[in-house]
Amino acid sequence: MSSKPVLLGVMQVKELSILLVTIAAGIYFTVTSGAFNSLDNYQTIAQYVAPWSIIAAGQVMLLICGEIDLSAGFVFTLAPFMMMQFFVNGWPLWLALLGAIVVSTLVGLANGLIRTVLGIPSFITTLGMAFLLQGLVLIISNARPVGTPKDSGVLEVFGGARWTEFLWALGVVVVMQVVLSATRFGIHTQATGGNPVGAAESGIPVNRVKVVNFAITSTLAGLAGILQGTRVGSYDPTNGGFTTMFFAVASAVIGGTALLGGSGTVAGACLGALLLGIVFDGFNLTGVSANAFNLVLGAAILGAMVLNVTLVVVRNRIGSRERT
Amino acid sequence: MGGTTVAASTLLSACTGVQEAQNGGNSGPFPSTPGWRFAFVNHVTTNSFFVPTRSGLTDASALLGVPEPQWTGSENGNVAQMASAMETAINSKVDGIAVALTDDNAFVELTKRALGAGIPVIAYNANAAGNYPLTYVGQDLYLSGFRMGQRIAQKVTSGDIIVGISQPGGNNVQPRLDGITDALKQSAPGVRIQSVNTGAEQAGELNAMTAAYTGNTAVKGIYAVDAGSTAACAKLIADRKLSGKIGGGGFDLLDDTVTGVKDGALDFTIDQSPYLQGFLSVLYLYLFRLSGTLVAPPVTDTGLTFVTKENVGPYASARSRFEGGDNKAVIAMPGSIPLPPPSVLSR
Amino acid sequence: MTETPVTEPAGEVIRVEGISKKFGPVTALADINLHVRRGEILGLIGDNGAGKSTLIKILTGYHQPDGGHIVFEGEPTTLKSVVHARSLGIETVFQDLAMINDLPVYLNLHLNRELTHRPLPFLRRREMKRRAREALDSIGIDIPSVTAEVGMLSGGQRQAIAVARSVYSRAKLLLLDEPLAAMGAKESAVILRLLRELKQRGDIAIILIAHNYGQVTDVCDRVNLLQHGEITFDRQSKDTSVAELFELVNAEYRLDGGH
Repeated sequence: MSSKPVLLGVMQVKELSILLVTIAAGIYFTVTSGAFNSLDNYQTIAQYVAPWSIIAAGQVMLLICGEIDLSAGFVFTLAPFMMMQFFVNGWPLWLALLGAIVVSTLVGLANGLIRTVLGIPSFITTLGMAFLLQGLVLIISNARPVGTPKDSGVLEVFGGARWTEFLWALGVVVVMQVVLSATRFGIHTQATGGNPVGAAESGIPVNRVKVVNFAITSTLAGLAGILQGTRVGSYDPTNGGFTTMFFAVASAVIGGTALLGGSGTVAGACLGALLLGIVFDGFNLTGVSANAFNLVLGAAILGAMVLNVTLVVVRNRIGSRERT
Repeated sequence: MGGTTVAASTLLSACTGVQEAQNGGNSGPFPSTPGWRFAFVNHVTTNSFFVPTRSGLTDASALLGVPEPQWTGSENGNVAQMASAMETAINSKVDGIAVALTDDNAFVELTKRALGAGIPVIAYNANAAGNYPLTYVGQDLYLSGFRMGQRIAQKVTSGDIIVGISQPGGNNVQPRLDGITDALKQSAPGVRIQSVNTGAEQAGELNAMTAAYTGNTAVKGIYAVDAGSTAACAKLIADRKLSGKIGGGGFDLLDDTVTGVKDGALDFTIDQSPYLQGFLSVLYLYLFRLSGTLVAPPVTDTGLTFVTKENVGPYASARSRFEGGDNKAVIAMPGSIPLPPPSVLSR
Repeated sequence: MTETPVTEPAGEVIRVEGISKKFGPVTALADINLHVRRGEILGLIGDNGAGKSTLIKILTGYHQPDGGHIVFEGEPTTLKSVVHARSLGIETVFQDLAMINDLPVYLNLHLNRELTHRPLPFLRRREMKRRAREALDSIGIDIPSVTAEVGMLSGGQRQAIAVARSVYSRAKLLLLDEPLAAMGAKESAVILRLLRELKQRGDIAIILIAHNYGQVTDVCDRVNLLQHGEITFDRQSKDTSVAELFELVNAEYRLDGGH
């Protein structure tokens, strides 16, 4: 009899459905491809998951409080170039890296202030910022990729050594989930999104909450860009961009964060990224070619979401039956 | 739902012809071989320029009795995505990789890993310094630009020209622009080049070229160094009725480009034979494996053919499979063959 | 009424004089004079758009008045912000209740007052649940689970929690902006009983905006009418009637042009 409340408790976990769907995808590819369950392949999957999770960790917070950051993909692209710009101007590498992170944060602050002070919707604000940053990248880099500095201890920790990119991603996800569910700031973020007028009436500084979340998202995006570029060995103006931002937001939404705000989960976003990574990698592994690839990817995502929603409905039905 | 996805992808696998290792066929004089799986890593996987390349690799694999190679990479030039695709190919232990080296650094370690695991790696369509492919199959990019610059200098000796480039800095197009610049410095130093970033999407390329022309209608010529931008040049010159009044030319054989050469909007375009880039890459990987590395793949310049009004005919009418069309029939030879440029020995 | 040692005249919790407020060209409040004593429930009535909500928002620190002054517990005071007003003990239950539907009861009760393991910023959920349970029980509100999401509860329950939130934070002055507007008779009765109980405790002053004059005369000790930006009527409930209040508010709109 004591298993029932435990089972019920497990069913209440928001991220359960996306977890089940991800496991299902993993099983599917294990069956259809011999190479899926190898350490090397896990690393490839981790390389998809890491940038999306890191950016999603911030986007979840923004989505919850009713905003979005479309420029995150270009902060991702810009940060490594800012780091190199500082570096070739004589700064030590660790300082250049820090400088690049600070620049990323400043972009987020700009986004947040334009949104809250000037009242321009975040979709437009961050869209404009995205193009601005893209242009800045092309100018700084002269549209050419730049190789990463070799033999750098600092960069070993930030994407150089194997698995570091993924470990950073896990760390970010854990920290941000804790912030969301176990701090006052997290509650205030939810309140700001769930009932902005009511939250303000209760004295919650809703504008400050939003600006902080914009800053967090941009900072994380910059970090993710440096990590991926260092891992690949090349800082490229084609990295990041709208596609990366879009997949990060998709991870968040697939993982259970509502596009219209009010609720969300960072852990779910990480699982969403994992699902996308498994599907991307899996179809590549089984040899699907480019033209068919998108078709299959789209079908898989739709299928996963149908399953996800079904599980949520089932869960709610069982849950409410138990409650009454 | 899960079942549907399984069914769908199985169906598609069958359609695209990718299978696990299976007994391959017999290929004429060659002994029968296992079904070697090759993977092509590309930077713009859905771009129409590479349709003949895919025809080439399909034909070669059918000829040699190996399954059709996987065509993967990134749709929009994203190097990280290409690197991930190449890594996946290595992890799934393919038998050969052909990769477009659009970045100097991203593929170095991966190439070393592949070679270390006994997987041959060939570069095609784009080459990069400091990398380790067994060979490069494609156009000599700098040289093609240089010859184009020389060609331009025959017509334009002073004034401004616009040159469109879809990915400034990209390994597969920037060297051409550099070649043009150097050639003009030598042969027509009075000419000033205005380069235009046209982006990688075809629709945007026309807009970019139009805007550049509108900003400087006194230009003496409108040129480009990549397929899409060249097609945009042809359209722009035709739309503004500038045919014959202004110089025009570029690369590759998109429909609009071929029409432009035929109608006189463009003076020339340059064929780099994308078909051969696919065909020869498969052939070289096959022979390399078959001979246990005895037949080393040679550096192959797939072509620098100037296509002008004189020889554009078959390009326009045949819709040949070799140029991305669907006509598989034999194409009739012309009565006489136009004279190629005189041979030049390297030393 | 319990005797409390007071230093200010007649146990006044708040007195405002000459309050005015304009929004652009529109004068919302012209010259407001009003006061409430401890243990008293003041009913504030008036037509829609007369400025009642604006007045409440000024008293709660959300808006700043253009003119006039406020005396709180005998001290001249400026209410700089909602947080400041709260810190003085002024609590408000707005029409929209300021509830966050996706958050549970106990977190709504502690909204912007969450308990943390100082100096670490982590929430003390167990403690907040316990205190929420206690607070609701002590006021006599029937909410089965403090972890239920507020969005799942009925209108009356949500209203009760909003009131409980203010009481729980040791309010000295409680402002209620149309708390019964969307409620049926049964649920209204719950809130009215609650208000009467608070009155019995004697340590809180309440200003209540309502449209149902029966409820107003029932539970309020005194009634103020806000008309044309001023308080034009101030009488004990027992000295007036529902009919009179109705007449006062609607006189100028009568089809026969008034009396």
